[in-house]
Amino acid sequence: MLDHCSISHRGGIVLWSRSFTPAAEQTASSSSSPVNSLIRDALIEGRNAENKYEKDGYAVKWTFVNNLELIFVVAYQRILQLTYVDELLEALKALFVQLFQPFLSTFVASLHVSSTGKVAAVNTATTWDFTKIFEKWDRLFDDVLRGLENKAAQERKSRLKHTSIHPETAIDTILPSDADDVVPSDSGATTVDEEQIARNVQALKNRLKARGRPIAGGRRRLEAGSGRDSLPTSDSDTPTKQKSKKSKTKAQRKWGDEAPTESDMASLDFSYVDVPSPNTPAKVADVTALVDQSSLGIVKDGIYEVKDWEFASTSESSSSVLTQALHKGKEEKSSAGLLSNVFARLTGSKVLTQDDLKPVLEGMKQHLMKKNVAKEIADKVCEGVSESLVGKKVGSFQSTSSAFRQALSSSLTQILTPKTSTDLLLSIRTKLSSHFPSSQQREPYSITFVGVNGVGKSTNLSKVCFWLVQNGLRVLIAACDTFRSGAVEQLRVHVRNLSMLGVGPNGATDSKGRVELYEKGYGKDAAGIAKEAISFARDNDFDVVLIDTAGRMQDNEPLMRALAKLVSTNNPDKILFVGEALVGNEAVDQLKKFDRALRDFSSASGTGKERGIDGMIVTKWDTVDDKVGAALSMTYVTGQPIVFVGCGQTYTDLRQLRVSNVVQAILSD
Amino acid sequence: MDPIITEEAVNHNVPTPEILSQAKVISSQTLLLVSLLLAVLLAVGFFAVRKRSQSKGSSLLLVGPSGGGKTAILSTLVYKRTLRTHSSMQTNMASIALPPSTKSLRIVDVPGHPRIFDQFREYMPDAKAVAFVVDASTISRNGAVVAEHLHRVLHVLISLPPSQSPPAFAIVAHKCDALKASASATAEQLAINRVRTVLERELDKRRTSHAGGVGVESLGGEGDEGTDLGGLECTGNGEFRFAEWEGGEVSFFGTSVAVGKAVPAEDEKGKDGLAPFREWLLEL
Ligand SMILES: Nc1nc2c(ncn2[C@@H]2O[C@H](COP(=O)(O)OP(=O)(O)OP(=O)(O)O)[C@@H](O)[C@H]2O)c(=O)[nH]1
Ligand SMILES: [Mg+2]
Repeated sequence: MLDHCSISHRGGIVLWSRSFTPAAEQTASSSSSPVNSLIRDALIEGRNAENKYEKDGYAVKWTFVNNLELIFVVAYQRILQLTYVDELLEALKALFVQLFQPFLSTFVASLHVSSTGKVAAVNTATTWDFTKIFEKWDRLFDDVLRGLENKAAQERKSRLKHTSIHPETAIDTILPSDADDVVPSDSGATTVDEEQIARNVQALKNRLKARGRPIAGGRRRLEAGSGRDSLPTSDSDTPTKQKSKKSKTKAQRKWGDEAPTESDMASLDFSYVDVPSPNTPAKVADVTALVDQSSLGIVKDGIYEVKDWEFASTSESSSSVLTQALHKGKEEKSSAGLLSNVFARLTGSKVLTQDDLKPVLEGMKQHLMKKNVAKEIADKVCEGVSESLVGKKVGSFQSTSSAFRQALSSSLTQILTPKTSTDLLLSIRTKLSSHFPSSQQREPYSITFVGVNGVGKSTNLSKVCFWLVQNGLRVLIAACDTFRSGAVEQLRVHVRNLSMLGVGPNGATDSKGRVELYEKGYGKDAAGIAKEAISFARDNDFDVVLIDTAGRMQDNEPLMRALAKLVSTNNPDKILFVGEALVGNEAVDQLKKFDRALRDFSSASGTGKERGIDGMIVTKWDTVDDKVGAALSMTYVTGQPIVFVGCGQTYTDLRQLRVSNVVQAILSD
Repeated sequence: MDPIITEEAVNHNVPTPEILSQAKVISSQTLLLVSLLLAVLLAVGFFAVRKRSQSKGSSLLLVGPSGGGKTAILSTLVYKRTLRTHSSMQTNMASIALPPSTKSLRIVDVPGHPRIFDQFREYMPDAKAVAFVVDASTISRNGAVVAEHLHRVLHVLISLPPSQSPPAFAIVAHKCDALKASASATAEQLAINRVRTVLERELDKRRTSHAGGVGVESLGGEGDEGTDLGGLECTGNGEFRFAEWEGGEVSFFGTSVAVGKAVPAEDEKGKDGLAPFREWLLEL
């Protein structure tokens, strides 16, 4: 049911991966693979606090191990609504780290050579036979996955039957804190005392008995294949096993809607312990039980079933390692945390925990909001940073808050750094020079300015115009705000000013005007005017068309539709959103809806080409001092760069954003 | 640097009185000769100091757009096998031994994602060599984007402080295995030619577009984050040519690695797609 699963280092090296379908196999190595998309569009964008990423019909989930810099990723078809993915990730994480910890530490160290010479010794001493090292992981992975899939299949069944009693909450965590109280033994599977053996034998008997019993009523029939059939590639290497499994019916331990007794639970929980009796054909790696043990809500239903008894694991260690890993995980939550802290203090470093980070995180959120970052964004960014720090070692002299600050600073830098070129002049010149030299006329470059009311669209449009004219380009302004009275006149004033100021760098004014206004009065269709303006520009040798649109609220559907129509009929080279630096929490809603509406309506319209916002102009920058949070909110929401910043009333008050400046301003006290 | 120079200069001054005292009869000719010698000595000393204080880095920097194959190359060089990779989220710094010498080289692989790409500046001071890795099989499609990255690198290279000896620079046309060799040229040559042509054209576009342009000022004063990127200066008629680039020599390599495979043993050296690149590293 999964499509792809991978375990990798943040630096890009994949330690282990598996594709479950031919299609996934094929995309796995391309740049559009779900994992690559996740990293590119979510993780590097500082969205790692969100817990799911969707792309091309895939749903992708992930988890980090920060001290080893690992990422665990699972991708599956979005429509499948797999419930066990979180559990799977947690189980894989616990197991993998437990099993390969020493190797992983060496590996990570080999990617952090601070200066030459020193670590070279480590490099030569280790043989990097990755395939050999992770050899046994394949089987373990299968065990864990199959266990969870089977369990999920049963849950689904039981949900259909007893919807009312099914607790769903247990799925979320693989190691709930109360698991300790219920699991009768913490010795793990390594020591098997007589009592346990007896229980296991009993369990086996029960199972065999159950198997012999005719199953009454469809409600008790458990789907045998649901979990396995969907694993074509993973099972292909064990066709015989699969066949043997299928030939057997499932054993049913206990039925009933009442809670199981203590002894029932005990026997269930012990069923994973290897049975050392010589006449048992093989040892048991009953992963199902293992995993269930940790989410007892399901067991309590009394519909828990031990299966795969016959699925013999060849290695004894595999099951014991599983238990150990899970036990270890539990311990770490309680006592081991303390111990490792003491140890860390002695060795001069400490490991950051969720609890350490919590107060700092809250403080930082407040700080960001004071800087006018929208609450939603402050939350997400800070949580993302915190996520990336949990489990990390920091030097004992570095306080948690300075570690947080440092991580936040680099996260902000990443979010604010444009991922697409902001070089407007270059893209204009490239377009103008790439026209066909033959009969075809030169297409002007068109930029549409959009935004809510009163943010300074027209003013900043004229600033951009002034700058373009300075660069020797001929600009036509299209007055497509046919809505607000006075809008056209305002532009007319600007054009008059600009054509007086508009002297190119070489000092010569052309005989033809450098700036002109294309206007058709009020009340007309804006999309149509824009179209005419562009063709007028084409015929009259203008280089750039700047399209002014009416301000509109993001919720106003008819107006948003009209804007989308303007966009899709004219297909401008750039759509710039103009927003105020003063905007606080509304920034998120404004931009999200603007972008969404543009995309939805433009893709639904004639050409079907989806267009969203390509960049932003943040105005009234001079009025906010160092409360520049809006810049962060806007870039975070759209993922697009801030092309210009407006910082005053004159035509020259147009600036380019400096990322380091903004980051500094946001972090400053 | 200054105190070192003066110190050295003093050192060179010390022997001169002796020379003078030994020469009992001081003819004007010998005086001239001696002072000439002194001047030469001083000059030599000065250059020696200068040379010494010019820091030489010890790292190979792998830069270039995302998906170029930097991490794959790093994996091949460091672990002797080409592990699978995905987009990097953080910089890898590993060290390799260069067989004949006992010295090791640090390899720094900076992610190519545009949001983190700029971090390569941090590692510049320690760079002994910089390799710009490009996917030769997609360069025709991605020319403009690749050129923008390259432009940033060239800009930084050309504006390094004089105290640092300029790192060697190479453009690596990677993934040659994805290209078909023609009758007249090997895949490597083809890849190099294609990468060179596309990048020269795109960089020249960038150069002309900025020539005579008025940039928009950056907030908070001057800085090189703005649109005003230099670094494309060439000798000759101004058109951008790597051969005429003012920043120094640009080497080109065609390389490839076999993803998922271990590097063949030493005796089959010819098979390794990184061979020419390795040789370059050895010569550094
Ligand atoms: N065909 C072929 N594919 C290659 C070669 N080298 C790398 N690849 C593949 O190209 C993809 C990208 O390689 P990476 O090494 O991850 O690229 P990168 O430059 O590190 O990319 P970022 O980390 O995002 O900057 C991977 O899927 C590699 O397996 C090669 O020589 N030939
Ligand atoms: Mg990489």
